[in-house]
Amino acid sequence: MSSPLVLLLAVATDATAILQKSQVAVLGETAAYTLRMVVTRPGKPVRTVEMKGLKKGDDLGLVRFTSPPKERGTAYLRNGNSNWLYLPSAEKVVRVGPKQNFAGGDFSNGDIFRLSLTRDYVATVVGEEAVEGVPTLHLELKARDRTVAYDRVSYWVRNDATFFPVRSEYYTLSGKLLKTLVVSEVKPLGGRSRPTLLVMESRVDEGARTEIRFLAIEDGLTLDDRLFAPNALERGE
Amino acid sequence: MRRGALLLALGLASCLRGESHEVELGVENFFYQTRPSLLNLGNVLGLKDQEDLLRATFHGKEVWGEARVVVSGYVETQLGGGSTPTWTAREAYAQYSFGPGVSVRVGKQRVDWGSGLAWNPTNRIEPPKNPLDTALEEQGALAARVDMVPAPWVGVTFLAAHSNTRPGDLPFPVPGPTATIGALRARFLVKDTDLALVLSGGTYTHRVVGVDVARNLGPFAVHFEGAVTQGSDLLPPRSDTFFPRLVAGFLETEGTTSYSLEYFYNGDGWTHAAYSAYRESLPLTFAQSVDPTLPAPARQAASEEYLTLAGIPYAGGMGLRRHYLHASWSRGELMGRFGLQAQAVWGLSDSGLVLTPGVSYEAKDQMTFDLDAVLLLGASTSEYRLGPIRSALAARVRFFF
Repeated sequence: MSSPLVLLLAVATDATAILQKSQVAVLGETAAYTLRMVVTRPGKPVRTVEMKGLKKGDDLGLVRFTSPPKERGTAYLRNGNSNWLYLPSAEKVVRVGPKQNFAGGDFSNGDIFRLSLTRDYVATVVGEEAVEGVPTLHLELKARDRTVAYDRVSYWVRNDATFFPVRSEYYTLSGKLLKTLVVSEVKPLGGRSRPTLLVMESRVDEGARTEIRFLAIEDGLTLDDRLFAPNALERGE
Repeated sequence: MRRGALLLALGLASCLRGESHEVELGVENFFYQTRPSLLNLGNVLGLKDQEDLLRATFHGKEVWGEARVVVSGYVETQLGGGSTPTWTAREAYAQYSFGPGVSVRVGKQRVDWGSGLAWNPTNRIEPPKNPLDTALEEQGALAARVDMVPAPWVGVTFLAAHSNTRPGDLPFPVPGPTATIGALRARFLVKDTDLALVLSGGTYTHRVVGVDVARNLGPFAVHFEGAVTQGSDLLPPRSDTFFPRLVAGFLETEGTTSYSLEYFYNGDGWTHAAYSAYRESLPLTFAQSVDPTLPAPARQAASEEYLTLAGIPYAGGMGLRRHYLHASWSRGELMGRFGLQAQAVWGLSDSGLVLTPGVSYEAKDQMTFDLDAVLLLGASTSEYRLGPIRSALAARVRFFF
């Protein structure tokens, strides 16, 4: 007979495994993608940008703006815990801190690039719930330390073999809800079915929301790590 | 003429449509007020009370696979006075990448290395920065550059350059020799820290050994850039003396707001006594150059000496004094399409102050408008009050295609 400790560990391991599967449901471990981001702010014009990105594992990410023309060439690079921004008008690479909102939207750099939730959070399954009619597993993620953007994340994944993410809620240390993410529009893209629309809504600035729609995805590529070197940004590539 | 031909040739090449291309056209107006000053006694620069420069700017980039051509420059004319339009290429280069490991770039190009935001003591390659060019659109140096990335955590840059030693973007000419420079920069990423080592030297330039460190510290991106330079940009040249230059600062960005603070120690800078002596030498030398009691050769020699002295503040672009502070703040998306920004450089050694407030407006996805003011304030004896410019207004409209 298993002891309660072994049972607890088994549940925790399951939660971690579910979280791992859920993380690669949208973008695979290694991927090239094109996305459109629409940033909505109350009383302000809607801002739409398009970008191409590369991702390798949990630590390497590179995104380059392709549209609108005035932002073309701007690039973000993530390598480990470091982030850099390339400003084409100044042809300068600037190291930026982790708090910067990605491209002025509601996603933080960490949301876009820091894809390793399993490394940053301890996950536990807290129940089964229906979210907008979809049967889900509800996971609670607790930050392992204070270096990550959120202290706690409530995370819902489909309660089936896909473990597609459905919804996330992000909380501060004081328990305040900062923003919610809804993941939807499952359809074939890049050779398999996957969610293609991510909508982040701020719970602090009413009406502020950012929508990311994947237009193209190619998983399973072999990407040279040197593509994610800061020198590549300096060369404007 | 040669510059114009190069610009035209590369411009034509850039019109050969590649798989991706960018074109930016713009109009810049630079309006400034002048005053008699120690660097322009007797108005030797021939400035009017109000000067008005108009520039038509062009930037183009064409990409064919691993190859690219980049051209940018401007045509400049003076409003209200029969000046002849002049062409200037800010950049005109071709680049080819041999996969992610090696790339070669040849032509007039900006180098822009170093983590410092306002000062980069490890970069003495390009012509010195024009302190009044708030858009930071520096002119490049004619150079061949090879970048090698043998591993993801290390990058090495070899550079050979032929570069002006005076700012090329000032509203008045500042003559100076052309330097031939060789440089090597090795950049490492170690434990989430950027570390770079730089060596450079050549003719009409100083030997530089530099180090550059940057990393994240809590919400801040902090940086330290330091270099030891052999010889001085100021007088006397002291070619056997080594001068340290250190920059330390931080940048924080959150949402559409960012701010930074940076301290600069210029080991090359003059002491109070040396600076006072320099200020006093300017009117004395000028007086000799127009003294009718002196023979013509003596007046001519004094005139040349005065112009040499007056050119010193522009010689290195790093400042005349020792201690400086730079602060910047910017906020985007105010009331939709507006942005605000402000920069200040405070000369701690002489209480000089340059303020550069600005506003930007994004009319559409294809058009931006920027308006910046430049105010040279602070103590009347400070280095920022030596020059003939007291205030300036720079307006830029850019169209992106």
